[in-house]
Amino acid sequence: MKHSLQAPGGPTRRRLVQAGLGATGLSALPLTSALAQSGEIVVGAAPPITGVFAFAGVGLHQGLGDYCEWRNANGGVAGRRLRYIGEDSAYKMDQAMSVFKKIMAAHRPPVFYGDSTAWAKAASVEVSQLGTTLTSSPSFASDLADPVKVPYYFMAGPTYEAMIEIQLEYINSQARAGGKPSVALVYSDTEFGRDPIEGAKKHAQKLGIPVVQEIVTKPGAVDVSAEVSRLRRARPDYVIFHGYVLAPIPEFIKQMKEAGMNFRAMGTIWSMDKTTVDAMGAAAEGWMGVMPYRYSYDTAGARTMQAIKDHAAKARPNMAYVPLFYTHGWLVGSIFCEVMDRCLRAGQALTGNNMKAALESIRNWDTGGIMGRPVSLARHQIPMGRIYQYDSASKLLQPASDWITMEG
Amino acid sequence: MRIRDYRQSYEHDEALWPTRVQQVWLALLLLALAAFPLLGGGYLVSLMCVLGIHVIAATGLNIMTGYTGLISLGLAAFMGVGCYTAAWLAQRGVPFYAALPAAGLMAAALGIVVGLPSLRIKGLYLAVATLALQFLMVYVFREWEPVTGGVRGVNVPPATFLGVPLNTDARMAWLIAFCAVLLLIGARNLLRTRIGRAFLAIRDKDISAEVLGINLLRYKLTAFAIGTFYAGVAGALLGYYYRAMTPEYFTLQLSIFYLAAIIVGGLGSLLGTVLGALFMTLVPEVLRAGVAVVAQWVPRATEILSPVQQVVFGLLIMGFLIFEPHGLQEIWRRIRRFFHLWPFRA
Repeated sequence: MKHSLQAPGGPTRRRLVQAGLGATGLSALPLTSALAQSGEIVVGAAPPITGVFAFAGVGLHQGLGDYCEWRNANGGVAGRRLRYIGEDSAYKMDQAMSVFKKIMAAHRPPVFYGDSTAWAKAASVEVSQLGTTLTSSPSFASDLADPVKVPYYFMAGPTYEAMIEIQLEYINSQARAGGKPSVALVYSDTEFGRDPIEGAKKHAQKLGIPVVQEIVTKPGAVDVSAEVSRLRRARPDYVIFHGYVLAPIPEFIKQMKEAGMNFRAMGTIWSMDKTTVDAMGAAAEGWMGVMPYRYSYDTAGARTMQAIKDHAAKARPNMAYVPLFYTHGWLVGSIFCEVMDRCLRAGQALTGNNMKAALESIRNWDTGGIMGRPVSLARHQIPMGRIYQYDSASKLLQPASDWITMEG
Repeated sequence: MRIRDYRQSYEHDEALWPTRVQQVWLALLLLALAAFPLLGGGYLVSLMCVLGIHVIAATGLNIMTGYTGLISLGLAAFMGVGCYTAAWLAQRGVPFYAALPAAGLMAAALGIVVGLPSLRIKGLYLAVATLALQFLMVYVFREWEPVTGGVRGVNVPPATFLGVPLNTDARMAWLIAFCAVLLLIGARNLLRTRIGRAFLAIRDKDISAEVLGINLLRYKLTAFAIGTFYAGVAGALLGYYYRAMTPEYFTLQLSIFYLAAIIVGGLGSLLGTVLGALFMTLVPEVLRAGVAVVAQWVPRATEILSPVQQVVFGLLIMGFLIFEPHGLQEIWRRIRRFFHLWPFRA
């Protein structure tokens, strides 16, 4: 019977060439119909693998992609396999939108992960119009945690405003009989830096914490001596840095220490990865900050953190340390899948409205230890975090507080 | 080979597209531009929109820099002015066909102010002056919250034409293509008028131009006004296209992008402007598409090849500048010349 499958006369060279050309042509076409038939779910992404945010983007891309692999190895979503398609955004809005439109046009993915606040705002217009896709990104901008104005967007953590509120709650808990500790806010003159400041000042006022100084700098400022002398005059107990990754934080700390100031320096999520803190050198001594996730070395009693560690060890044997960006990507993937799983199990199509409802139905959800307590996504954010402090002996960031949850 | 190209009257000699072949190609191009939003996929149409905006902005820069020799590093700032003007007007119900020219005029007004130092300084000094404007305007975009929305940016209501909202890529592509064609024709016409010839004279030697009776103040400011008008319209279209914009878009990097586009395409050439914009827009897309194809078979290809693709893009730009300093338009000209002379001289 094998004989009957061949075309009369056998495969000629022309037929082989035609078949080859046909296959090449087909491989270039969008795979939408094929995917629909096979039941694969496309997870689209435009992570910033190159550009100024590449230090985080590679980890975000790896975390989300690896989560899809891991999920497939563990049964997929309601029995359907995931297919991760991520292309570099270079942290440029034009390119991120181009990747977004390309993947949307070819695959119409139900979930998409972008690269920035600017992308999230521009894409939200289109996503709201299409009503097909739930989105997220590494942006924790307060504007984006708005289920009314940005209905199909969520963030896998607290807003920047909630992060500073968590820090203020911690500072408030450190108050002694002598009065409340004072705070100085140092932030970059960017959308990222300015985002939480007004809310932070209001929350400090509510807690009775005096904000004794407010300093705005360029994102990568080098000469900070004038700013340090202002801080020296204000004598804050805590200096909260926001809107930076690394520079100018070490320079600030170095000069403040040289000036004999008695203070605690704190940061927010993007300046809290171990690799970033290691790069601070001597300035890392005593560094604190808010982190929404456990560090990857903290796997005790956290099954997902263990799964991350095991999967990374298997899939990426050269990765000595799993950065927080990877954990973030993994968590975003698990929220995407939880949302889609809830829709599919309820027999609902993966539309924007169904997924939004499923997202808002997530309450008391166990992240498997990525975050310390069960979480809720009713407000499209997870206003929870913990204060960690750098321990120079172990060279690790260790918990300095319990998990703190804000109202969101 | 092109034959029977007889120029027997002044009208014929002055025509924008004097030969039948040119007219046919132009008609086909216009037809393709009109049909593409209907026939092209969503992604390709979105590329067409971005490309059209880049062509308009780069044309503006080429009028200033390529034709008049006034180096500007502040084009992104003028685009920002156009974008925020259009956003502000659109939020108040002004239709796009009024908001677009208004955005251009607002940018042109600022361009005239910025152009004043060009009477005293030129070359790199002028570039630094426009660079200062770039930083100044980004500051204004961030701080003037009632108009620009501050660091959080603005939302732009969709343009509406005869009651139809231009809220899809295809509809916006028509609007952008129409504006791009109109402005390119305008630029082509302008450059063969007395004004255009004055621009060229100033670019080649401004002192000689003045000796010849060209009013430097008037023509330099005119070049700035026209170039920034184009940038303003491009910025307004950008706002209507994305419908949300933050100040972080209008950075120095964007100005450099356009400068690279007109240099790669060919300074002082409208065709070069279009080719440069095409190159700067499409080559990264093609390289990324290549990475995406490889990623289908090679695990981890995206994270390994994405940085390489940027290196390749940079090398391509350097390669063009080294091997064809006159830009892509010169390559195109050589190809055309080959076919014009074929088969007598290959």
